[in-house]
Amino acid sequence: MEEKIYELLSEEFPAIDFKGSDTLVDDGILDSLTITGIIATLTMEFGITIPYEEIIEENFNSIAGLAKMVEKLSNK
Amino acid sequence: MTFISVEFYLLLAIVAAVYFIVPLKFRWFILLLGSLAFYVFQGIEMLPLMLLSSFVGWLFGLCMGKVYERDPKQKKKAKLFSGIAIVFLIGMLAFVKSSRYMPESVASKIIVPIGISYYTFSIVSYLIDVYRRKYQAEPNFLKFTLFTAYFPKVLQGPIARYDKLMPQLAEGHKFEYGRFCFGLQLMLWGFFKKLVIADRLSIFTNTVFLDAANMSGSVILVAAIFATLELYCDFSACMDLASGMSQIFGIELEQNFDHPFFSKSAAEFWRRWHITLGAWFKDYVYMPIVTSPRMAKLLQMVKKHFGTRCGKSVMAFVPLSVVWVLTGVWHGTGRAYVVWGIYWGAMIIISQIFAPEIKKLNAFLHINVESESWKIFQMVRTFALFSIGRMITIPNSLSTTALMFRKIFLDFRPWQLVDESLYTFGLDRKNFLLALFLFFILWSVSMLQEKGSLRLRISEYNVVFRWMIYYIAIIAIIVLGIYGPGYDASSFVYIGY
Repeated sequence: MEEKIYELLSEEFPAIDFKGSDTLVDDGILDSLTITGIIATLTMEFGITIPYEEIIEENFNSIAGLAKMVEKLSNK
Repeated sequence: MTFISVEFYLLLAIVAAVYFIVPLKFRWFILLLGSLAFYVFQGIEMLPLMLLSSFVGWLFGLCMGKVYERDPKQKKKAKLFSGIAIVFLIGMLAFVKSSRYMPESVASKIIVPIGISYYTFSIVSYLIDVYRRKYQAEPNFLKFTLFTAYFPKVLQGPIARYDKLMPQLAEGHKFEYGRFCFGLQLMLWGFFKKLVIADRLSIFTNTVFLDAANMSGSVILVAAIFATLELYCDFSACMDLASGMSQIFGIELEQNFDHPFFSKSAAEFWRRWHITLGAWFKDYVYMPIVTSPRMAKLLQMVKKHFGTRCGKSVMAFVPLSVVWVLTGVWHGTGRAYVVWGIYWGAMIIISQIFAPEIKKLNAFLHINVESESWKIFQMVRTFALFSIGRMITIPNSLSTTALMFRKIFLDFRPWQLVDESLYTFGLDRKNFLLALFLFFILWSVSMLQEKGSLRLRISEYNVVFRWMIYYIAIIAIIVLGIYGPGYDASSFVYIGY
């Protein structure tokens, strides 16, 4: 899952090094518009709904966090 | 009574003196008394309406707290409570804001409590956060009223969040000389920006915009640039004064400005200008739309029929359109404000949707996007975009805005920029050239602030140099400040919102 999300997001946002940081939100690498783009990409790719409660730094700080969130929401 | 009045500073001095005399645990109560006194000075008739909003916010927050205490999963009931309170508060705000559309006989009877746009948004954020169980409801009505009406922030914000401000207000702070000096320094810079720069520029802009039909395009263009800097100096000065006086009490208000004219795009600009308003819309309007199940369904449907690219465009378009129309309406109820909101929304949406094409265009034109010259161009572009936006809202009449744009394009007289013409619109040659020098000071200080805390660096200088800076600033404010009748400066622009 991690690899798939990495490929997807790297293609979508080539300027961002998703593996270069585990604190993508904390470091200001992801702003709210980029986070919206990530939500759109994941929603359309995996057919999931990402609820407001999941928009937390822990989920968006790294590819691992995103993969964990997608897996959790896919199994719902 | 505004931040630029003798009465206000008498009140501040009394509140500060009593605050540091009474025991720590009662200090919040002194701030409350000071805030209520400030409101009474604004007009005693406004007080009941502010107290009503505060009471509604407190009561329904408490009801939600009780619901969650009994059953933490009772979200539906809590939603009902927060919904009723929010509809009431926003309804009240919309009612007083729409008074301009009512007959004069009715409108003149409507009381508009000062700061209603700011404190209503603060209370609504509190109600939503309690509903989301971000924190517990406030049990003490008086403390909640202090959060609503804390006097340094009630006039023009920042739009305070309960979890950031309330703990600081409730906790008594000891007097600290260093913090006291830092607060005064920030206030000094605020006075400088307001009295020396903003109010000086307002003489020129008022003269030009009040008679725009008879002005040439070149004069209107200069006035639009001045109006942009005037608004920045005016609003950020008020924030510096609010933050500075709060620092005296040991309270840190949220940052509302982060040198917005160093921004390289419209989206970045709005993350650095009126930060707390943007953050409010992001947390309570934008993200709930982005994460709603309906939006997810819409995206999947659009992807299925029109492809991923179209889905992403929908995601950029829908929430940003809603946010920007609402942001426009928040600033004012006229059509001009709606157009202004659409203008900024369109700018940000287009840059989002066409980001790949913009990137390709830059590559095609061999533009080095990392070069300093390109960054400077982007900053100038941001400034120009903001100035265009100012021209939409300043006359509050779209026909006058259209006329001004026509004049800039069809009646531009470049020689007026270099002959003596510009000295005939309220600012004589000396004051006009001084205004240009003041822009240089503003830019220099902003550059230094971008590199880190300027006040911290000043505090490290030797005592002689330090006091020389203070004296120069004080003398500049006294000598160069623009003082109206009764030594009461012009009103702050954002008080009207």
